Amino acid sequence: MSDYRTLTLAEVSVGDKLEPVDIDVTTGLVVCGALATRDFEPVHHDKSAALATGLPDVFMNILTSQGLMTRYATDWSGPEAVVRSIDLKLGAPNVPGMVMTMSGEVSAVDSDSGVVDINVLGENNIWGMHMQGTVQLALPREG
Amino acid sequence: MVANVKDKAVIVGVGNTRFSKESGVSELNLAVQAVKAACDDAGLHPSAIDGFATFTMDANDEIEVARTLGVGDITFWGRSHYGGGAATGSLHQAVMAVATGMAECVAVFRALNGRSGHRFSAGVSEGVMTADIIHWGWYMPYGLLTPASWVAMFTQRWMELTSVTKDAFFEVAHATREYAVNNPNAFFYQRPFDRAEYDAARMICDPLQLFDCCQESDGASCVIVTTPERARDLKQPGVSVRGVAQAAAADQEQMTSFYREEFAAIPEMEIAARNCYEMADLTPDDIDAAVIYDAFSPIVLWQLEAWNFCGFGESGDFVLDGALRPDGRLPTNTHGGQLSEAYIHGVNGIVEATRLVRGSSLNQPAKDVNHALVTSGVGIPTGGALLGKLD
Amino acid sequence: MNEAEQQAFEQEIYAFVGEVVYPVTPAPDDVNESMIRHWCEVLGETNPAYLDQDWAADSARGHIIAPPAMMYVWGQEGFQVTTGRAANAQSNLVETFNRHGFTGVLGTNVKQEYFREVGVGDNIAVQMVIDNISERKMTSRGPGYFFETLATFTNRDGETVGTQRFKVLKFIPQEQPAAAASDDGKLETPTRIASVRGHDNGWWWDAVDAGKVLIQRCTSCQTLRHPPRPMCHECQSMEWDSIESTLDGEVLSFTCVRHPQVPGYPKDPICAVIRLAEGTNLVSNVVGCEFEDMAIGMKVKGVVEQVDEKTALPQFYPA
Repeated sequence: MSDYRTLTLAEVSVGDKLEPVDIDVTTGLVVCGALATRDFEPVHHDKSAALATGLPDVFMNILTSQGLMTRYATDWSGPEAVVRSIDLKLGAPNVPGMVMTMSGEVSAVDSDSGVVDINVLGENNIWGMHMQGTVQLALPREG
Repeated sequence: MVANVKDKAVIVGVGNTRFSKESGVSELNLAVQAVKAACDDAGLHPSAIDGFATFTMDANDEIEVARTLGVGDITFWGRSHYGGGAATGSLHQAVMAVATGMAECVAVFRALNGRSGHRFSAGVSEGVMTADIIHWGWYMPYGLLTPASWVAMFTQRWMELTSVTKDAFFEVAHATREYAVNNPNAFFYQRPFDRAEYDAARMICDPLQLFDCCQESDGASCVIVTTPERARDLKQPGVSVRGVAQAAAADQEQMTSFYREEFAAIPEMEIAARNCYEMADLTPDDIDAAVIYDAFSPIVLWQLEAWNFCGFGESGDFVLDGALRPDGRLPTNTHGGQLSEAYIHGVNGIVEATRLVRGSSLNQPAKDVNHALVTSGVGIPTGGALLGKLD
Repeated sequence: MNEAEQQAFEQEIYAFVGEVVYPVTPAPDDVNESMIRHWCEVLGETNPAYLDQDWAADSARGHIIAPPAMMYVWGQEGFQVTTGRAANAQSNLVETFNRHGFTGVLGTNVKQEYFREVGVGDNIAVQMVIDNISERKMTSRGPGYFFETLATFTNRDGETVGTQRFKVLKFIPQEQPAAAASDDGKLETPTRIASVRGHDNGWWWDAVDAGKVLIQRCTSCQTLRHPPRPMCHECQSMEWDSIESTLDGEVLSFTCVRHPQVPGYPKDPICAVIRLAEGTNLVSNVVGCEFEDMAIGMKVKGVVEQVDEKTALPQFYPA
């Protein structure tokens, strides 16, 4: 149980950086991510449908990107953090063969509400920004 | 001694197209609209034009502009190089042509789809097709690809040398914005802003933030230049070119003169200023209003120093005293400037400087404007002009 | 499209604002551990708040919850979408855009807010409306309009558990740069824009490829010059050789290029004008240093590095 620590509000300050994480964008992740989020749009599992849209291969659906971004935030904070919002600007597609690097930084700490804003960037090595935005987490005041 | 063309050429007509982010028309369409508007303003038929002056960067052939407008024979065309350095450079060409009799009536124009077509913010990253390619090669691999990035490099050092802060940049941006609020053709018409909005805008290249940078615009501007004799017969009060000069200083590069002993300086503009004042027999005290090239907010400050309105490092205090405001020492960029009206490469500035001398600016200062300054871009070979009332 | 046509078109699309895309629709599956576990498995999620009953029982919540990012998952239409979706207000709006040439589509923003956590056994209902449509905008993709849907999620007790705003750009496609796929279908990694090498500068870049930064020297008057040029500006001699720089230097000015981001370049590169110990200036990058720690006058030391697959450049570190 004690394996899982959750950061307290007092431990966090604006400017704190999250350790970057690399996500290998594989066909498996794209297709299985689409299925796990019940997104059966053909462009996420059928390469011929993706090619018809002008992209070289199937591409990651938004729900998977959202899942990866909240995972990145709560992996940092620990499990008692409550996710309040995720606000994403969408950029270039994630296509198999790419590596997406997620990085993040605490941009606001509201000691009244206990809510922490984390600016997160997910950038792939081919086309650049895949997603960029803010995850808000409510952190406990005491451990 | 400087060559003297004082009062040998007169601006008799000015014209702007609608400025927008998406003109939906060709650059030729914009060019002929602007020239026609300037002809109408002067009370001239396009067939009166016998010469053209524009930028090497302009995509319109003079002969196409002439055919489209119904201009007949033309005996002069000249282009000025170096981006925004050509704003008064093209006026310079027209003045020389008229003063020497090579042409009698020259249209100075610039037309661009600067937002919906090729964007300046794309910098040189979209492929360079000119002889400059070796030059840009010293900067491109490192990421210095855009005008903002080059100007930022000068700005950072100039701030360090002078201790001028962003308070002064904001004052430049805010003064022009307040003027634009009254100008229906300005991008920021009826859209004032405050320091909080300025500070919150995204960083482009430190220390330049979004509102330190000019618009990217579609549109065209034109002024018609002719002889004093002919000017007296036309519809509008003539605005005489008292002085006009171009200059490139030693060790000049295009936007990247980083190899000078002290590069936080614009010696080329100082040369243009000295020559203009001498030619016009005027001093800074004689200048009542100005249109100072404002692709970026700090470059207005450097030019105030180069034109001797204040000493080196004093421009911050000068503007913070309200100098650029309607009742200030030097009401400046009263159309809203390129920061807030539109970026027509400085030729919209010549239009506005002419209006200031005519007394017909939308933000005409209460005092008499006997002489107005207009300048070209910074960081490049550049120039300026001093305009006054035709006697 | 002339002004009158645009007005008529805008009237047609703006009529969609407020239209219901989905009425309140309960999810086909109640929130359940199996779907949560499948989702976590793929996303690489190990959060015990979603997965570990024992941990969760002792936690502040007292029970496991569904990952908040699954909020939209519960109400998804199923496999039948592979053969098309039933017409609704959103598809009709999209069809209207398509008919007028706004065939391009791009999801630009999605924002989810979560008001309540959701436990196993609950059922999430979704309702969606077309919330707003922008004025015509010129975008980098082409002229277009943004429309935004608003989905509201409620639990079995009718309490709102969250909302989702999804913004979509419909645009008239302009010519796009070719997708970065090479002939064999492999994705090509973009690199920095290379310097063209000519008579006067090629030798300098060739030396960089070999790991050296050279400075051109006039063999007649010994004056150093950079960037290279064919003639000495001091004595007009055209004879020259070069010396190798120690790459000891001092920062004369710097900037961080944050916008626009260009493919092939690191994010937010720091560029600087550096005065080399030999006396000439060089533009380069400063790396291994936060922007906040940059200062004019700081001492730096350079080294030639391979910055991407194709490009070698001098890069400077704080000395």
